[in-house]
Amino acid sequence: MLKQKFARPVSIIGTSSLPQRSFDDPEYKDLSIYELWAAACNQAMQDAGIKPKDVDKLVYSQMANFVTMGNVMSPVGSLEEWAGLAGKPVTHIEQACAGGYLAFNEAVNSVASGKYDIVMCAGLETPKHFNARNQPAYMLQPIQKYDGWWSPGRALFDTAYNRFDGVSDNLLTEEQGKYYIKHYGIDEKTLDDTYNAMAINLRYNASHNPRALERTPYSEIAKKAGYDDVMAYMRSDNNPKITQYIRKSGSVLHNVEAGAIIVCSADIAKKYQDHPITVIDHASVSNTQRYPFCFHQMNVDVRDALYGGQDNFNPDDLDLMITTVMTSGEQLDSAEVFGYLPEGKGYKYELEGRTRFDADRPINPHGGDLSFGHGFGCAGINMLSEAIMQMRGTAGGSQVPKPVNDVLVRGMGGGHTTVGILLENQD
Amino acid sequence: MYKLRPILKPYYDNLEKGKIMGMKCQDCGDVVWPPLPTCQKCGSTNLDWIDLGTEAVIDEIRFEDSSVGGDYTFRKADEFFVSKEPYCVCVGHFPAGTHQFHAALYGVTEENKDELTSQLPFKADAEFIQLDGGFKSVGFRVRK
Repeated sequence: MLKQKFARPVSIIGTSSLPQRSFDDPEYKDLSIYELWAAACNQAMQDAGIKPKDVDKLVYSQMANFVTMGNVMSPVGSLEEWAGLAGKPVTHIEQACAGGYLAFNEAVNSVASGKYDIVMCAGLETPKHFNARNQPAYMLQPIQKYDGWWSPGRALFDTAYNRFDGVSDNLLTEEQGKYYIKHYGIDEKTLDDTYNAMAINLRYNASHNPRALERTPYSEIAKKAGYDDVMAYMRSDNNPKITQYIRKSGSVLHNVEAGAIIVCSADIAKKYQDHPITVIDHASVSNTQRYPFCFHQMNVDVRDALYGGQDNFNPDDLDLMITTVMTSGEQLDSAEVFGYLPEGKGYKYELEGRTRFDADRPINPHGGDLSFGHGFGCAGINMLSEAIMQMRGTAGGSQVPKPVNDVLVRGMGGGHTTVGILLENQD
Repeated sequence: MYKLRPILKPYYDNLEKGKIMGMKCQDCGDVVWPPLPTCQKCGSTNLDWIDLGTEAVIDEIRFEDSSVGGDYTFRKADEFFVSKEPYCVCVGHFPAGTHQFHAALYGVTEENKDELTSQLPFKADAEFIQLDGGFKSVGFRVRK
């Protein structure tokens, strides 16, 4: 049993379970982000068996609210009303795609401090659409029409200081491949096959998960394109390289997201939830992208901070790892740095399909950001929701077919923040 | 007592004069570029300007095809560059510096990239990149 690191123990008692979709999907016809937000918050409260009056505080995460929600600075009042929480304390967290994880950590800290008993963390994001300032929220416009949206020079790097140097965001994840080849002696072709196998494995997981955004297995896609060998398809121009190492199949898919999780003091958890999950610890670090290999270094620093709090921690005892995979290199690097896969040998696990949800070292059984989807500041909430469902045994078709009692959730955002969270079934 | 002083303006003013300035910690000797008022190694605020020269050592070359987008991410951050001359990205360091950095590197082509890669590390000259906002940034150019 792992050692709970908070002065006051904290448990998870509720989660939402909305699917990952796009507003272009008929399933989301006539909806706005407000309806999705209300659905997520109410799902989590119903799952926890509580009413809005029972929630002491809300921590809300969204990265692009100013851009996508009609140029509102922080829509905390409206969002509280839609969730029935008007008048409650609320904290808005914006830390790019790490925001959801940090909102969870903030909710945990709020309970651990003794100040609040029940706290909801919730996220919201609509990466591909925005609401104009002069129209109601259901009148969606494609994000490309928003002047200046998503330019790495403006959004990802701090150009007010000094990131006018033309360096791409590609570089940040490309480096993980560079690092791997340099340190573990595999060749570029093997790395390419590893990344392709990873994309196939994640899509295999997603094909068993109705909540995932993209669910068609690559084997099926390859067949339709005339390929009997799926790896031949993945190596072909149908799946072009974006960088020296990363192919299109190894790049994050964006979708609209809302999600919510409820935590409470462990001593009252059983009153609400038969299967509360114990929050063991969390750790995070931030850095700039200035120095080479910053992604790898952040993984190292978070690992040391998180595992250092445990006596004789053995990552082999983890049943599951859920990790951000903005591009292929991130999953491999983080899985090895955190010791979930053996250093320098993790690529074999991907090539042999051993990271699939039904294999011996499952990673991202929901499909990960490459297939499950990704919604910036909400992504962390729904990654944690997946962990909760896996630990309860309620993840559906992509449920890991063994007891899932110890889980590492590791997330990253903006190239500048990495988070690690340890969860355990202790009841 | 922390001394309040301009950091960014002198840095950019010097770029206009063709000088690349970093800051050197007077306590531990660590050199930071671009400049910062706090030593990243020891935390001291006792830093002074240091002229880093206009030559860097290029340690690694990274190239990509930015025309093939994933979703709508993954582009070089060159939208403010006046010149649209293609470039790749490198990892390098200043001889007087103590840290590696990322930077734009001009002069790498499909034809010469393998040859240049085989010559790493090599020296390159500073390229003062003109931005449309009326200031300059620092990249490097392969010597012919």
